[in-house]
Amino acid sequence: MARTAAGYTPNRMNDLHIAAMTLTCAAGTGLDAVRPALLKGRSGLRANDYPNCSLETWIGRVDGVEDVTLEGDLARFQCRNNQLATLALDQDGFRESAAALLERHRPERIACVIGTSTAGISSTEVAYRNLDDAGHFRPEHVMPWVHTPHTSAAFVAAALGLNGPVQTVSTACSSSAKVFATAARLIESGWADAAVVGGVDSLCLSVLYGFHSLELVSPEPCRPFDRDRNGLNLGEAAGFAIVERDPGESLGRLLGWGETSDAHHMASPHPEGAGAIAAIRRSLERAGLAPEAVGYVNCHGTATPMNDRIETMALRTVFDTPPPASSTKAWTGHTLGAAGITETVFSLLALNDGYLPASLNCNEPEPEAADFILREGRQEKVEAVMSNSFGFGGSNCTLIMGAA
Amino acid sequence: MNVHILGCGVSAPGLPDIEALSQVLAGGELGEDKPGSGNISLLSPRERRRCPETVRLSMAAAEQACQTAGLDPSEPDAVFASGMGDLAISDYMCRTLAETPDLLSPMRFHNSVHNAAAGYWSIGAGGRGDVTALSGATDSLVTGLMEAASHILTDHRPVLLVVYDSAADGPMRAVWPANHPFASAFVMGVAEGNQGSAIKLGPEPARVDDDCPSLPAGLAERAADNPAARALHLLALLQGYHRGPVHLAARQGPGLRIEPVT
Repeated sequence: MARTAAGYTPNRMNDLHIAAMTLTCAAGTGLDAVRPALLKGRSGLRANDYPNCSLETWIGRVDGVEDVTLEGDLARFQCRNNQLATLALDQDGFRESAAALLERHRPERIACVIGTSTAGISSTEVAYRNLDDAGHFRPEHVMPWVHTPHTSAAFVAAALGLNGPVQTVSTACSSSAKVFATAARLIESGWADAAVVGGVDSLCLSVLYGFHSLELVSPEPCRPFDRDRNGLNLGEAAGFAIVERDPGESLGRLLGWGETSDAHHMASPHPEGAGAIAAIRRSLERAGLAPEAVGYVNCHGTATPMNDRIETMALRTVFDTPPPASSTKAWTGHTLGAAGITETVFSLLALNDGYLPASLNCNEPEPEAADFILREGRQEKVEAVMSNSFGFGGSNCTLIMGAA
Repeated sequence: MNVHILGCGVSAPGLPDIEALSQVLAGGELGEDKPGSGNISLLSPRERRRCPETVRLSMAAAEQACQTAGLDPSEPDAVFASGMGDLAISDYMCRTLAETPDLLSPMRFHNSVHNAAAGYWSIGAGGRGDVTALSGATDSLVTGLMEAASHILTDHRPVLLVVYDSAADGPMRAVWPANHPFASAFVMGVAEGNQGSAIKLGPEPARVDDDCPSLPAGLAERAADNPAARALHLLALLQGYHRGPVHLAARQGPGLRIEPVT
């Protein structure tokens, strides 16, 4: 492959396929619920009813998470994040797909790479609200497998019986996009033959009040790419995928990825979108694709004034005319550490179903984005799709998936 | 798989740099003085004051590693591995949310992300490549070594690995009882040519305990105190204190066997 202007020589990996996937988010528990929600424009957002939180906003809360109990050896992982993960693992026959994967590969050859930003912090918050008189955790809150970012990958590996490399990626909102790149590297370099990847983030006071403190939360349902957008809504989600070289069935191929840093600011994107542009370009280089080969972009599109403006600028810089694009965050809220997997699954659905979802709630698009942001869903067969994820710390990841 | 270690760094009480570690390995006393931030040149004095403790801790080690490797810090992709992230910020966040959530500091919130150290590093070093952040709980050193090695083998470029964890004050001591913070950093590259020391990394399934040549007592205590300080076994090997092999356990997935390439 030619050396690029940036002096970066990407290495084209052997084809990796997505053998199975599942998603649980506010728009639906499992793909059988998510698909019709996308088709009918049915948002999963609701007025904030998260316990102990009085903020006026809308949230993407998943029903039934509180009712999940982790039993036996998995009880040590009990927390909202892992309850949500359990709910998601139970959908779309994913556990059966994982069992079939274990028939094809030894457990120690299957990696588990999960992205999260919140991990079990909602349980840590509860433990701090209930300290004993000496200021210590009460015994029921002393849960070392919960009060660590690594709870996410550790739990999924334990729940599925995987025994290859176990890694939790935690780079804020790019976390569960990067898991695909990590899995590809682990497979390519021989540490594993296959991987279960995914992302899990759950609602908690840390992110609700945290984004509120940064004045980034909208009091209304979010409106990505709308000229009057006024902030994001927080959401929760869990999604998983199986990454493998030669599965019997394939939902798509991982064609390329670009991982970059802004090197600019912890909480604000680079003003010219330098990191985003570099991530998009690297993903194309790695895939060996010209920009016009991409048929759909699932944008990061948080609905903050700055993100959507800079992402528009980045897409305009890389593409002569950007392909049809949308942000699906008005269905789910911004699911942070699970945004990457959520939107990668949406992109794979677009690839498999030939249906490109609208940018819900975008009534009056930002003028600069008006010609490519989808205001209505569109039936269109595409061969390659792109998903953008940009996070705090200036961490960017763009993925490209291609038809199987 | 074989990789070259092109440079390394350390940052911990009594161990402000590799030279201090060499002295302890040679029989010197291990002090308790916390390393100052004088070893960090990549952040402005203002940023140094504002950033979390784990940023100062990890960055001091990372800078040394790049310096000894003779590598511009902006050049390598980087892997930041930490079991717990910044415990002091988690403590602040959870206390404030329990008492006065409306007063949560926006700066401390954005500093609470697990990739804060990675983010400040890329800002300070001007690195625009991949700077990732991961956790493997008590096995973050093992996870980080595998991730860094996989970068090298797939991209054929040097990678900076930084492994760090702080000590817990307050209630989190119940789940993370470390008494001393510890950070180490390694610039790792493709194993060819004569630069640096080559080591061989291999998976060790089902290893439940570390098994390494013994260290001076003070260092052995540190390695047992904070899981990030298990890197002392690797640092001692790289300093020629012993010839390995170093066996690192993992609670899930494979452990690692590390030995010099002869």
